[in-house]
Amino acid sequence: MSLRFPKLVPRSAPVILLVLTLAAATGFAAVNHLVARFTANQQARGRKLYRLGLGDANAGRYDDAIAAFRAALTCDPTNSEYQLWLARALRDSNDPRRLDEAESYLITLWQRSPQDAAVNLALARVAAHRGSIEDATRYYHNAMYGVWNADPDLNRTNARIELIKFLLNKGASKSAESELIALATSLPSDPAARLQAAQLFAQAGDDAGALARYEEVLHLEPSNPAALAGAGQSAYRAGNYAAAQQYLQAAINANPQDAKTLQLLASTTLVLRSNPFQSHISDAERNRRIAAAFAQSEKRLTECARQTGVDLTTEAPSPGSALSTLQSRWTATQPDLARLRSPAETDLPDTIMDLVFQVEQKTAAICGQPEGLDLALVLISQKGEASGQ
Amino acid sequence: MSNTDAVDSEVSSSRAPASRFQTSHRLFSTLEGVFNEEVFFLILCVFIGIFSGLAVVCFRLAIDWTHLALLGPLPQTHSWRLFAVPSLAGLVVALLVLRVFPNIRGSGVNQTKAALYIFNGFIPFRTAIGKFICSAIAIGSGQSLGPEDPSLQIGASIASALGRQLQISREKLRLMAPVGAAAGLAAAFNAPISAVLFVIEEVIGRWSAGILGSVVLSAVSSVVIVRWFLGSEPLFRIPVTTFKGPAELLAYAVLGIVGGLASVAFAKSIGYLRPRLNRLPRWTQYLQPAVAGLLIGLIAFLGAPQVMGAGYDSMDQAMHGQYAWKFLAILAVLKILATTLSFASGAPGGMFAPTLFVGAMLGGAVGDIEHFFFPHLTVSTGTYVLVGMGVLFAGFLRVPMTSVFMVLEVSGNYEIIVPVMVANTFSYLISRSLQDVPIFDLLTRQDGLILPSLEEEREETILRVEDAMLPVPATILNAEDYVDANARRVQDSADSIFLVRMHPSGWNTISRDQLLRLFREGKGELTLGSVLPPQSLPALYPDLPLDAALRYVNDYPVVIVVNRANSRQLEGVISRESVFKKYGSARSGDGSYQGTP
Repeated sequence: MSLRFPKLVPRSAPVILLVLTLAAATGFAAVNHLVARFTANQQARGRKLYRLGLGDANAGRYDDAIAAFRAALTCDPTNSEYQLWLARALRDSNDPRRLDEAESYLITLWQRSPQDAAVNLALARVAAHRGSIEDATRYYHNAMYGVWNADPDLNRTNARIELIKFLLNKGASKSAESELIALATSLPSDPAARLQAAQLFAQAGDDAGALARYEEVLHLEPSNPAALAGAGQSAYRAGNYAAAQQYLQAAINANPQDAKTLQLLASTTLVLRSNPFQSHISDAERNRRIAAAFAQSEKRLTECARQTGVDLTTEAPSPGSALSTLQSRWTATQPDLARLRSPAETDLPDTIMDLVFQVEQKTAAICGQPEGLDLALVLISQKGEASGQ
Repeated sequence: MSNTDAVDSEVSSSRAPASRFQTSHRLFSTLEGVFNEEVFFLILCVFIGIFSGLAVVCFRLAIDWTHLALLGPLPQTHSWRLFAVPSLAGLVVALLVLRVFPNIRGSGVNQTKAALYIFNGFIPFRTAIGKFICSAIAIGSGQSLGPEDPSLQIGASIASALGRQLQISREKLRLMAPVGAAAGLAAAFNAPISAVLFVIEEVIGRWSAGILGSVVLSAVSSVVIVRWFLGSEPLFRIPVTTFKGPAELLAYAVLGIVGGLASVAFAKSIGYLRPRLNRLPRWTQYLQPAVAGLLIGLIAFLGAPQVMGAGYDSMDQAMHGQYAWKFLAILAVLKILATTLSFASGAPGGMFAPTLFVGAMLGGAVGDIEHFFFPHLTVSTGTYVLVGMGVLFAGFLRVPMTSVFMVLEVSGNYEIIVPVMVANTFSYLISRSLQDVPIFDLLTRQDGLILPSLEEEREETILRVEDAMLPVPATILNAEDYVDANARRVQDSADSIFLVRMHPSGWNTISRDQLLRLFREGKGELTLGSVLPPQSLPALYPDLPLDAALRYVNDYPVVIVVNRANSRQLEGVISRESVFKKYGSARSGDGSYQGTP
């Protein structure tokens, strides 16, 4: 059987071209109709698969989600949303081999729409998975300044918070602090957001900044237990024990079961009761606190020497010679305690407390973190150093 | 209104259509003048591209639709469909191929070549219909074949039908099939440069402005149509490809060697199985595609559904490091097996996509292994997957130029050109040394056709003018000298023909007898130039093919060979005897000439 065209076409070139043009236009219209119908069917099928994938992804079934998104993409290969979700599922599946593919999808989307904040955020997370600070920072910044379809302010803040957390986890404190400063200026009046920011300040080691953010939260929600506890902890770390005691006490009142806060409160109270340099105490009280600290330092010295097996009576140099030296100095200083009451001995309290602080710091270094009054004395010594600086 | 007015009115109203007719007639006449055959052919090429593009769009939709309808959007392992669909579809395809559409077995590249060299550009339009339907069913049902070669043949078929219908000259009609083939391939690959190169490198085998222009026009217009309907998304999402440095070329050379060996294995397996299956009783041919489908289904069922169909999704995933090297290597081997089964069984479909698949998997596997042993040497697996595609293209299809440009066009990355060239060269050379006959030529010979092997033609050592050139004669006469002086000079010479340097330029010849006769006739006082006819000898250059000399050696006793830089400097001469002597010695094997003179 041989298929033949009817030979109806005139042999004149312009007529032939006219007929060909008409035939091409007709074919074009027919194929256009066909493609439109096929595409519509495929898109409907793709949407169904996409919804399945979303369900799987939200339930953490990433393998199923990836299969569903892939299938959706075979139906609608250029759909940006499917690509984005497939990339997210690939990234979140915790399979390092899939990161390349996720990144490739995202790069394709990024090239198509570099200002898309969601794509930039997804790319930032891929970079974060890879541990690349430079790329992650760049894409997080793109996400912050990109175009969000909904809640732009909240999304931008969240993106910055995510970046700060990533930087803190990677130990890039300086970069994190820069982002924190930027975050502080753009925080919404939402207490939860400010509380999260305060916690990030605290995590970054900026206790003053953290305390300020916690106080902003407390201004909005005065009895917020997390903010009270956080403020107390920040004040405590900053050496502001009076404020710390106030916040910690309020936190305990709001949540009496908070063991960590209870412990901090006890420590804070001890610091406040043991500090001989605290203002508004009498000379007698000051002398009593110095004597108690001096006696405690000797106990700590003896205990530490026992723990480390150092004989404090020998004079020969040994690994514990520092302890021996301190013991000798302590013994030599002990008679001076009696002269504390004399108004002429203005430098004596400092001299005695210097020795106490040296003993506490040295024993802390050798025998580990102390507890109780010893801890209070270490904290007082640190506060003194900080104020001295 | 008076009678006169009425008559005038009638006259004017009857004049108007006549005037319009004359105007349009003049316009058509003018247009006729504009459309000489060359221009008309080029415009026709654009239409061929458009029609081929439309056909390929429909073809791709048909494959996708068949695949979705029969196998679902994403085939899962351990599904009964994996067995049932390719087997049953294989039966349907076999029935159609054997009963309704004969001559649509295979890829279509050879049929297009045959149309060009044997059938004066004739490809039945029915072939396009049959190829469309049967390839869509075969590929959509999971046979391990690709859509590119059928697209090529569909394009060629459309072009051939159009050319016949328009009764264009035989010379142009011959060219129609390759032009359509380029359009079909470009549309299928979404890569016009590769398509143009492939058709010129594998089908036409020669370059000229006319051929190149027509092929390019058709390829570009078909790609525009495909992109209009299906978008300009590339076949793969290309990962970030990097080239670490010169040391990495060693790693790519290894990939080229492995790819060359794999190409040979692939070609030999098809070359071995296909004729054996063809020789089986005819009734078995109804079952062969079904059995091939069943075996491919078994492979898919056991855990490798990636081998089904063209496999572009799997290549994409390999490019993004989704498979471990062992699985990549297994997929490469299984794909060779599956494609051999599908192709040898007679299921219509192409080998381009399977070739790319095998290359991609092999590239990924080699890249991963090299990265494991030499982490400082290699960078990303994706680059190796991409280069691997080109390697198999060069080694298996034996189209080195196309293979390089195909990778560049698909990746859009110029940085990998050096690795691609290195790896492809190794692959091509190994394939050539271990497999004399390229796969397309092998298939043609198995089908009993003798088509020119374009690879052999490329490799032929051509005889050149310098090979038959004789030394510059010792005696050269001067046209400004007198006849008697020249006669005295030739008296003692053993030569019978003498070159004459004409004034101010040009060369002529005179025989010894002629010269002596002139002398005897008393024309010794005349200059030689004045008695010779004003014609000048044709001049050839030493590097020209010896065939060029054949046009002159019958008309002139000698033809001069001059230097290209200085046409007055004589390099030698050739004569009829020296040319034929050279051809004779080449044929008897003592020369270097290997082709058919």
